[in-house]
Amino acid sequence: MRRNQWKIAMVFLLPYLLIFSIFRFIPSVGGLVVSFFKWSLGGDPKFVGIDNYVNLAQDGSFYTSIRNTLSFFVLTVPVLVVASLLLAMLLNQKLAGRKVMRTISIIPYVLIPSIVGIMWNWMFDNNFGLLNYYIKKLGGSPVFWLTDERFALIAVSIVVVWTYIGYDMILFLAGLQGIPKETYEAAEVDGASTFQVFWHITLPLLKPVTMMVSTLTLVNVVQLFDQIYVMTNGGPGTSTLTMVQYMYTSAFTNYELGYGSAIEVVILVLLMVLITVQNRIGNRERKVA
Amino acid sequence: MKQPRWLKAVLYLVVIMACLFFILPVVWTVISSLKPEADIQSYPPAWIPRELTLSNYRTVLTKFPYFTWMANSLIVAVAGTLGILIASTMAAYAMARFRFRGRRLLYQTIIVMLLVPMQAYVIPLYLMAGKMDLLNTLQGLILPSVANVTSIFILHAFFRELPMELEEAARIDGAGEFRIFWQIMLPLSGPALSTVTILTFIANWNAFLWPMIAVRQDIMKTLPVAISQYWGSVNQNASFQYGTALAACCMAVLPTLVVYFALQRYFVAGIASSGIKG
Repeated sequence: MRRNQWKIAMVFLLPYLLIFSIFRFIPSVGGLVVSFFKWSLGGDPKFVGIDNYVNLAQDGSFYTSIRNTLSFFVLTVPVLVVASLLLAMLLNQKLAGRKVMRTISIIPYVLIPSIVGIMWNWMFDNNFGLLNYYIKKLGGSPVFWLTDERFALIAVSIVVVWTYIGYDMILFLAGLQGIPKETYEAAEVDGASTFQVFWHITLPLLKPVTMMVSTLTLVNVVQLFDQIYVMTNGGPGTSTLTMVQYMYTSAFTNYELGYGSAIEVVILVLLMVLITVQNRIGNRERKVA
Repeated sequence: MKQPRWLKAVLYLVVIMACLFFILPVVWTVISSLKPEADIQSYPPAWIPRELTLSNYRTVLTKFPYFTWMANSLIVAVAGTLGILIASTMAAYAMARFRFRGRRLLYQTIIVMLLVPMQAYVIPLYLMAGKMDLLNTLQGLILPSVANVTSIFILHAFFRELPMELEEAARIDGAGEFRIFWQIMLPLSGPALSTVTILTFIANWNAFLWPMIAVRQDIMKTLPVAISQYWGSVNQNASFQYGTALAACCMAVLPTLVVYFALQRYFVAGIASSGIKG
């Protein structure tokens, strides 16, 4: 017979729940409350209803930040998901040295993100950067990666792909190794080609993993802050001003905490919308197939 | 499936290219940090340095409070990791093994927070920390990091899989719940604890947004924040020296790389398991 273990459970839960509530749960919910106030540092907070949201709706920089966040998403997430899946399939083969490659591929993910930004500032340097040196050597004209408005977001996207590709690959690899060998053997007996096996067996079985990788990558990209802050700080102009960058500037450079909170709320809503849409698209494809 | 020879060659080529893509920026950073400043901005860039020197490293260590930053980083990362190991292990154990009303709801409420990034609650956190006088202190950096969710996810999944018979037998022998947890369950949890240790240590060591906001005093800063404020693009002026910047970077990532190589197996397992959710 099992008794109710409420009391002992509370003892075990207490330290975590205390810290979790104060430093994570209450702030997560509190953002909505703060967003209804005009809250500047030092001054007393003043309730202003939905004024912050009304102002956001008329704020050109805010629309720019939404557009940049979406472009950033389009530039990185599809590349990351497809490339990491292909790499994972490669590493799922019996190749010598695949352990070495697995180890190396996660190094970018382990490094301090803000320092990765500095490393790439050096790679992207207009005059002495490695990238421009090879571009010139191949006959191209140098690209001002971080100082040209047309290229800054692309430069940051390259860094993000470099950082997360190994991480995504490990997730796919775990999924691939979960597919029983017999499935492949049966297909081979039936005379299926490598491509047929990939399209009709591997991909459908990998569906849940693909959805999960897409969602995690999406969250990672939309929340990205460190590298952009170190590489461009939203510039040049507003070309890399993402929503998170704009939230930071509003709250901690201009000290408009209420306004920043309203942006935080919109970020969260956008995140949920993107996750839902991505999963809808994924599920519809399954019905067609 | 048997692969033709040429296909195998192509696959190996792709493997090598991918490895170079991942590792070359890191190698180039290390090489550059070992060159005298005059050679760094030489043209064409030399993969093999004409002259090796530690002068950049000396500059970083003597002209900046680098050891203080490193000590701050170490204290924050180690204390945060220990805190997570204690708090999360107990909480995950309770939710996985004890019967009480509302435990599913509680677990789900915690796990949903995986989708709410720090960026979406940092302003209220800042106000809260200000009220509690935690700004500009190391405790103010440690405590929020202990409210970690990934560790709950990994440990909960692990504890749920342990066979019930273990604790039934111990309970019949009259062992209390704390003894069962401490003497029977924890010794079996090595792999899960290692995974949580490495994932959270690296996350804490790399943390940026919160430490940057919560600490304004120079000597209280952690390495990622201090380095990016001295050598990030925000501060790039005429006297900016890449050699010094890159030397500071190399020393800062060394501890993570050591931990990563030592506990690599658990790190990979951790990523894989933190992804697979129901």
